[in-house]
Amino acid sequence: MNKYWLYVVLAALFEVYWVAGLKHSEGITEWGLTIIAIVATFILLPVTAKHLPIGTVYAVFAGLGTAGTVIVEITVYGEPFHLLKVILIGTLLIGVIGLKQVSSEPSKSKGVT
Amino acid sequence: MAWLAIIIAGILEVLGVLNIKRLAMGKRDALLYLIITFGSSLSLLSYAMQTLPMGTVYGIWTGIGTVGSTIMGMVLYGEPKEWKRILFISIILSSAVGLKLIS
Repeated sequence: MNKYWLYVVLAALFEVYWVAGLKHSEGITEWGLTIIAIVATFILLPVTAKHLPIGTVYAVFAGLGTAGTVIVEITVYGEPFHLLKVILIGTLLIGVIGLKQVSSEPSKSKGVT
Repeated sequence: MAWLAIIIAGILEVLGVLNIKRLAMGKRDALLYLIITFGSSLSLLSYAMQTLPMGTVYGIWTGIGTVGSTIMGMVLYGEPKEWKRILFISIILSSAVGLKLIS
């Protein structure tokens, strides 16, 4: 896998952490880790945006962040499980994998100056 | 007022994403704009959540951000416009908005 795609996935994982952190952090250590996760997200995204289209980066980042947050809410925080949630996470992953497939063709217009 | 807040928050989010791109292109001032746009966008978002359901607010915000970033990427930076790319981004978008609406 292209390492910049891996970075987008990592940025989304950090996002899942800090979204939960903003809601549930207690004490200086937990808040500290939440802030570190926010900073990590915004270091990774510009790096990926240098090599991938910004529309792709943001769609994958926001999509995986949403799916991850829903999974954490169900498994960690006891939110109700719905079949529809699982189906939507499935279609979302199909979208991400499909987008990755069509993006693997080398782009000629880099637009980076 | 809450609806207006969501729409402005969405526009600020798109401007924030554009500054991620500008930061990637080595524009130093982009970091400041990034903090201002995302900061004010998230403040408006929490304001809107005081009167409207969280899932609805978050879903619309994500929707505006994703559609806006994709279109701006195409218009300003010449990013690919093939139908397959638009299709898969639409699938991600509708799944994410759906998840936020039911969560």
